[in-house]
Amino acid sequence: MNSSELRKAACSYLGFYGEPTEEMIALVDSGMEEARALAHFRAVGKVFSAPLAFLEKEPYASFLAGCSSYALVAMTLGSEVERRIRALFLSDPVRGVVLDACASALVEAEGDAWEAQFGAARTYRFCPGYGGSDVRDVKEIFAALRPEKIGMELLESGLMAPQKSMAGIVGIGKTKLRSCGACMLREKCIFLKEGTRCFRSENN
Amino acid sequence: MLPLGKQLIVFDGGFGSELERRGLGEYIPEDLNVTHADEIRAIHRAYAEAGADVITANSFGLNRIKYKGKYPLETLVRAAVENARAAGKEVFFDVGPTGALLAPVGTLTFDEAYEAFAEIARLTSDMVGGYIVETFSDLYELKACVLALKEHSDKPVYATVTFDAGGRTLTGSTPEIVADLLEGLGVDALGVNCSLGPEELAPIVERLLNATDLPVIVQPNRGLPKLENGKTVYDLSEDEFARWMRKFVEMGVSVVGGCCGTTPAFIRRLAEWKGRAVPARNVVRRTAVCSATQRVVLEIVKVCGERLNPTGKKKLKEALSAEDYDYLVSEAIRQQEAGADLLDLNVGIPKIDEPTVMRRAVTAVQEYVDLPLQIDSSDPSAIEAGVRYYNGVPLINSVNGEEAVMERVFPIAKKYGAVVLGLTMDQNGVPRTAQARFGIAKRIVARAEKYGIPRHKVMIDTLVLTASAEQPLVMETVKALSLVQSLGVKTALGVSNVSFGLPNRPLLNKTFLAMAMTCGLNMPILNPLDGEMMGAVRAFGVLANTDAGAEKYIEAYRDFVPAQTAAAAPAAGQSAVQTEGAGDLFDCVKRGVKQGVRAAAERELAQKAPLDVVNDVLIKALEEVGAGYEKGTLFLPQLIASAEAAKEAFAVVGEHMEKTAAKKGTVVLATVRGDVHDIGKNIVKVVLESYGFEVVDLGKDTPVERVVEAAMRIQPLAVGLSALMTTTVRSMEETVRALREKGCKSKIFVGGAVLTAEIAREIGADYYTANALELVKALESLLAK
Repeated sequence: MNSSELRKAACSYLGFYGEPTEEMIALVDSGMEEARALAHFRAVGKVFSAPLAFLEKEPYASFLAGCSSYALVAMTLGSEVERRIRALFLSDPVRGVVLDACASALVEAEGDAWEAQFGAARTYRFCPGYGGSDVRDVKEIFAALRPEKIGMELLESGLMAPQKSMAGIVGIGKTKLRSCGACMLREKCIFLKEGTRCFRSENN
Repeated sequence: MLPLGKQLIVFDGGFGSELERRGLGEYIPEDLNVTHADEIRAIHRAYAEAGADVITANSFGLNRIKYKGKYPLETLVRAAVENARAAGKEVFFDVGPTGALLAPVGTLTFDEAYEAFAEIARLTSDMVGGYIVETFSDLYELKACVLALKEHSDKPVYATVTFDAGGRTLTGSTPEIVADLLEGLGVDALGVNCSLGPEELAPIVERLLNATDLPVIVQPNRGLPKLENGKTVYDLSEDEFARWMRKFVEMGVSVVGGCCGTTPAFIRRLAEWKGRAVPARNVVRRTAVCSATQRVVLEIVKVCGERLNPTGKKKLKEALSAEDYDYLVSEAIRQQEAGADLLDLNVGIPKIDEPTVMRRAVTAVQEYVDLPLQIDSSDPSAIEAGVRYYNGVPLINSVNGEEAVMERVFPIAKKYGAVVLGLTMDQNGVPRTAQARFGIAKRIVARAEKYGIPRHKVMIDTLVLTASAEQPLVMETVKALSLVQSLGVKTALGVSNVSFGLPNRPLLNKTFLAMAMTCGLNMPILNPLDGEMMGAVRAFGVLANTDAGAEKYIEAYRDFVPAQTAAAAPAAGQSAVQTEGAGDLFDCVKRGVKQGVRAAAERELAQKAPLDVVNDVLIKALEEVGAGYEKGTLFLPQLIASAEAAKEAFAVVGEHMEKTAAKKGTVVLATVRGDVHDIGKNIVKVVLESYGFEVVDLGKDTPVERVVEAAMRIQPLAVGLSALMTTTVRSMEETVRALREKGCKSKIFVGGAVLTAEIAREIGADYYTANALELVKALESLLAK
């Protein structure tokens, strides 16, 4: 993702979808610079050909239909950026929300770039919790990948730590872009109601 | 007894990869100690036959937090040790991390981690020859582990850590920081394992060898892992592995072995060098204090921020007695942003439980700020509480020449490896001459050495007296600095005492600071928010040639504007969504320009009643901003900036209506237990405060009892609960139920990404609000009733 796309993604997390002003650009860019300096992107992945049991249910089955294999992936920016966000919320909340959004955009972008190793024909990363799927399925991905070694943990509540972490599924052998058409939440989506979407990039 | 540090010692190699090779990769490795004892013993035997001096028990995941199998821990521990013993060699118990992340990133506490490792030590101490703590990547967990082992066993502890190719652990610690911590805690050997192959580890090994006098241990993987057909494989040859290990041995490594992918054949190669004398190393020791991610070397001048000390600070005193750590933390952050290198932390006020408050204060500050801390107290138990819970190697402030004080404090410094600051005074007070103070310094350094504290772990403060009362003695302090340096220790001074009682104190302070730095002051303790003092330190860096190329100086003053015109420029470090100068109060709030708010509010208050300012100006401006945000024409940072500006304005208005009207009401906010996401809750807090509500923020991952306790004690207008995900809505439900059961009369509001009005009803909450502004509206209508 180039820097203007990255900025756009961060702006959308900050609730802004229009053309950003110069001041917004400056604010988001300095947040992104700080996010990059503090982020330590780490990822693990494993390619499977036979579906694990949890992937046989919907919406995973439809998501992976037509793929020759798939990868489970887990990734994180680490905990240093998290501490900085926490500190900024006390000292300068404006920069706090901006850094938080930038870090979210960054982990997505880094993840997308890292997944290029699975080939050009691949789906976007589908994470448990998307499109009405059960967020608790993250534990299946943790069991398969053991991402503790890259400093991730699945807390008892089902949340991942550090906060800027993702765990998901990438289908291989078929291209699939994010779209609203297939989403189970289409009917009640607050983003669609506002004429926007929950994702920013047209790419994987 | 192993000839540690004298002759090369060989450990065994990879265990998990051996299990996989034998088709046992699918099982919980620790269970195999019971279910497949023969196979486990065969692996141990193979390593013993290859020539390993030490066999590591198959116990990596054996602690109550990580192990999730069906056997009692004690059974597995015993079986693991017996299996290893069967090989007929020295047995070390393998202690791996818990796999859980410590708070605040995860939810595991330091005490819980400590207890899990203490249990291991209690179960094993009389069965094993020592402990190999390995594959740790979090400094704080490592500290908990080593402390637990040392406090429950007298067996040797070797500790190794994993680093990434950039030379940092997963939580950001460098080899130097790890070495400082482990050496300080008194391990017998320290080093690196797993992580990478030997080639990639080479720079890290070199750094470790240069950072400690202790024997260094290296157990690399068999090269970098490769993914083949979805399986992890290691393919470095035995020759290549041995070639690198040979290099490490020649560099001075004392203990070698292997990690993932290495087999008995690899260990056989290492065993060829057994008995080889370990070459001596000449390590230059420096005085350094560390947090988990920052190491401050007291070589050139480093500034210790003095503001986390309640003496003479009314607000901090109040905050500490109310245990409001947010205020303490924000003072810490301000000093960090102003350029402090480390921070003094003192919580001594009358009638508080100082050790408990010190522990909490240390924990709170280190969650937000990664500067090393100086633990400052006259109560040794408070010092120990701070030093123990500190995630790093702190400085202790202080001892003095009095025997009784040294007797109480030096053992703490020794046990935790802290640097200790000695004041050149004793029971007879501060000596008048530099020579006499030098005498006390010598006594302190000598006594420290008796306790096993080397000189690089001691600093000396030659004590500043005020020029107004003791004018002839000011130069004695400075002279003493030069004398003390001859002892090979670093120096500190609380510089601003010098000007007490005289006009234009900043001028005296700055001049005295320059004099002291010239005579060898390493660590001024001062107020980093004082730009003049920080400026003097930066200027000294240029003039004393310690700031190479004046880089830091230029960085700080690149945009320097002479004082006459400075007023017009925005304050450095302040973010502004809008940077143009603002007009009236309405405009300031609407545009989120905090700088002009105070003056604008005062102007407004000169014409209107305080309540009118609130209703006609502040609320209107906030409403306009809120509407813009809801329409999507403004983004979140603008909303927050306006809220911040409004909060400032409310503070000013508050000063004008002290007696007439109180705050609108108190709201207790919490992110529920199990949930560590608090961005949403924090946004709500800022916005509520901007509307004049008092907010008591209980933080995140808040236990049910804590919410109930706060609600019952405070009797707030409302309790606001936040949860990000479906999984934590359940603990939100529990919290609501507990509040109801205790008869909480406050209205309960819930919010968060997955909540809906429907869910809110189901779990028994009074209101669901979709965002901060809706919550404000709901609270306002509640007030109107």
